[in-house]
Amino acid sequence: MRVQLATVASLLTAVSLVAQERAPQAKSATTPLYTVRDGNKVDPRTLAGWKTWRALSCDRCHGQAQEGLVGPSLVESLQALTKEQFQTIVMNGRIEKGMPNFSGSPMMQANWEGLYDYLKGRSDGNIAPGHLYPIDATGATSSK
Amino acid sequence: MTQACRSMPLSKAVLMFASLALPATVVADADLDQRMSDPANWASQAGDYANHRHSTLSQINAANVKNLQVAWTMSTGVLRGHEGSPLVLGETLYMHSPFPNNVYAINLKDLSFKWKYEPKQDAGVVPVMCCDTVNRGLAYGDGKIFLQQADTTLVALDAQTGKVVWTAKNGDPKIGETNTNAPHVFKDKVLTGISGGEFGVRGRVIAYDLRTGNKVWTAWSTGPDDEMLLDPAKTMTWSDGKLAPVGKDSSLKTWKGDQWKLGGGTTWGWYAYDPKLNLVYYGSGNPGTWNPSQRPGDNKWSMTIFARDLDTGRAKWVFQMTPHDEWDFDGVNEMVLLDVDHGGKRVPALVHFDRNGFGYTLNRVTGELLVAEKFDPAVNWATKVDMKSGRPVVDKNYSPGTTGPDVNVQNICPAALGSKDEQPASYDPQTGLLLVPTNHVCMTYEPFQVEYTAGQPYVGATLTMFPTPNSHGGMGNFIAWDPAAGKIVWSDPERFSVWSGALTTNGDICFYGTLEGYLKAVNTRDGKELWKFKMPSGIIGNVFTYQYDGRQYVGVYSGIGGWAGIGMAAGLTEPTAGLGAVGGYKELAKYTTLGGTLFVFALPAPATQTAAEGR
Repeated sequence: MRVQLATVASLLTAVSLVAQERAPQAKSATTPLYTVRDGNKVDPRTLAGWKTWRALSCDRCHGQAQEGLVGPSLVESLQALTKEQFQTIVMNGRIEKGMPNFSGSPMMQANWEGLYDYLKGRSDGNIAPGHLYPIDATGATSSK
Repeated sequence: MTQACRSMPLSKAVLMFASLALPATVVADADLDQRMSDPANWASQAGDYANHRHSTLSQINAANVKNLQVAWTMSTGVLRGHEGSPLVLGETLYMHSPFPNNVYAINLKDLSFKWKYEPKQDAGVVPVMCCDTVNRGLAYGDGKIFLQQADTTLVALDAQTGKVVWTAKNGDPKIGETNTNAPHVFKDKVLTGISGGEFGVRGRVIAYDLRTGNKVWTAWSTGPDDEMLLDPAKTMTWSDGKLAPVGKDSSLKTWKGDQWKLGGGTTWGWYAYDPKLNLVYYGSGNPGTWNPSQRPGDNKWSMTIFARDLDTGRAKWVFQMTPHDEWDFDGVNEMVLLDVDHGGKRVPALVHFDRNGFGYTLNRVTGELLVAEKFDPAVNWATKVDMKSGRPVVDKNYSPGTTGPDVNVQNICPAALGSKDEQPASYDPQTGLLLVPTNHVCMTYEPFQVEYTAGQPYVGATLTMFPTPNSHGGMGNFIAWDPAAGKIVWSDPERFSVWSGALTTNGDICFYGTLEGYLKAVNTRDGKELWKFKMPSGIIGNVFTYQYDGRQYVGVYSGIGGWAGIGMAAGLTEPTAGLGAVGGYKELAKYTTLGGTLFVFALPAPATQTAAEGR
């Protein structure tokens, strides 16, 4: 398959999630949370979310594939967490459990919605673990 | 005793005279000096102050080493990477372990425990240790054993009883500060450093009073002159073919804004001390964040050799090896003090094998650059060191700082763990050669934008590692190096990086361990293998020797781990985990598994000889 979008089922789920829980400034209910091709090429907002994941070393506690280490599995947590709950946790932290407060991070402030989209994609199984690339690129990572 | 004096290396003789000549208020630790001068002991991690890792013992030698066999073993009870070595003082051997940093005093008479010290440390320190929970060993001085715990507590134990005499806290694990280094006892002080270059930690060396544990001075690696103990007019550095004062704000001027506060320059390596000059030598590590685009400038004084006055901490000279690091080439490796012939003169020198792949020889009195040559021909990130400026000439094809964030730069040699990491070299005064355990590994390096959160990793690069292409296929070499010429004399290829410290002896042999678990003895002159023994677990410890009851022993820890062995030690599987080492060293799992045992070897003892040589 040349272009592999989210499956119809998960697309519907995504749409319904947005419809039920979107913040006032969220994307329109008809837009999917994320767009993914070949498992690792994503739209700019989701890419910025993944870069935030990487920049803040979230993998240290939640695992390189979000499978959970000392922190919970986000593959599982994102099945249940609402977007508002997600925002509260990343901005306030869960200090007693070891989750830092990331409200001081400009990248988190700018990209927390993209991070939510990225983690939903991981939780849905549509986005592959590891390095992501822009969907509009030729497919090859820039390299020397 | 007479024989010991006759065969004593020159540096030790000089040291004794120097200590006699000093005023009473600043006498050397006479206890440690005396014990170091007896080759039966292994009284400090390197056996001396100069980092020679050489023993004048010769009972085990090139002719008979083939008969070497296991004399005794002892479990440390811990299954993580075992770096450093035990100490031996008279009839007591002091063994240490990785986290939780247990210390055992073993009676060599009957191999029983005299005492045990098992500290209670918060396990929260483990996740903020970048490259395994290693500890590089104990120090001795003034009747005390010094332990630098992972949680940044420095502990002084009574060597006879194991009771705590004093403790000092030199960091905070909550912001990623930990310790892996051995403390160093020099004269009336014990010096320690800090780890955490991957957590935005600001490096420093701290000197404590040996007797009381009171802090005497702290010398930071980055920041304002007064905090770094730099004298703008008197601290010298090599530039433009001569030595010149560093000038005002020499560190601050080379950082953007407050980035120096997260500027790394940590201090977890092997320090040296010259009693005659009263100078202590050590190196600083990588600058904060591995993404060079976030820290424009030379990032002084990360990646730097410091020469400081031991009494005051004042820097006499500094030399930065890798300005504006783009590869994680920490400058912390051992500083070896020896004399070389240069320009028709005998020069008091400092020899240093840097992570960046260059072997440096400097005048240790002045800081003048004498030699800087590649000690692995595979090094490609720089074509050479410009001898006038002292700066490496960087090849833009292998420069992640030039191509910028999110570009994956291919085939950089060496990899981030350097042509050599902390595994210390040995100096053989008989041949004038240094015997050097090295890495032969290359990498890909993709830097990315990162943000600082206290206690979180502050890395900003994704790496993969692999054996040097178009070479012998292995990941290491064990080499002999001529420090005056800057040339490899011989080189033995190894399947994996040699992550074990070397030992040379007057028996014309050199010992080192391998990651798959062989302890090897080779001829110092030509590298020919004379003996080897397979350990249960890979070796990242340093080989040591001692004499007890008339017999010479050689020992080393068996226990895979450290940066190279982190995949196995911490149970990691993603190839890019462990800062790229997990994928690079995945083949190790075919040859070895976790362990934690001290092995001690000796020649078979004829019954008559044993009876006759009681002491």
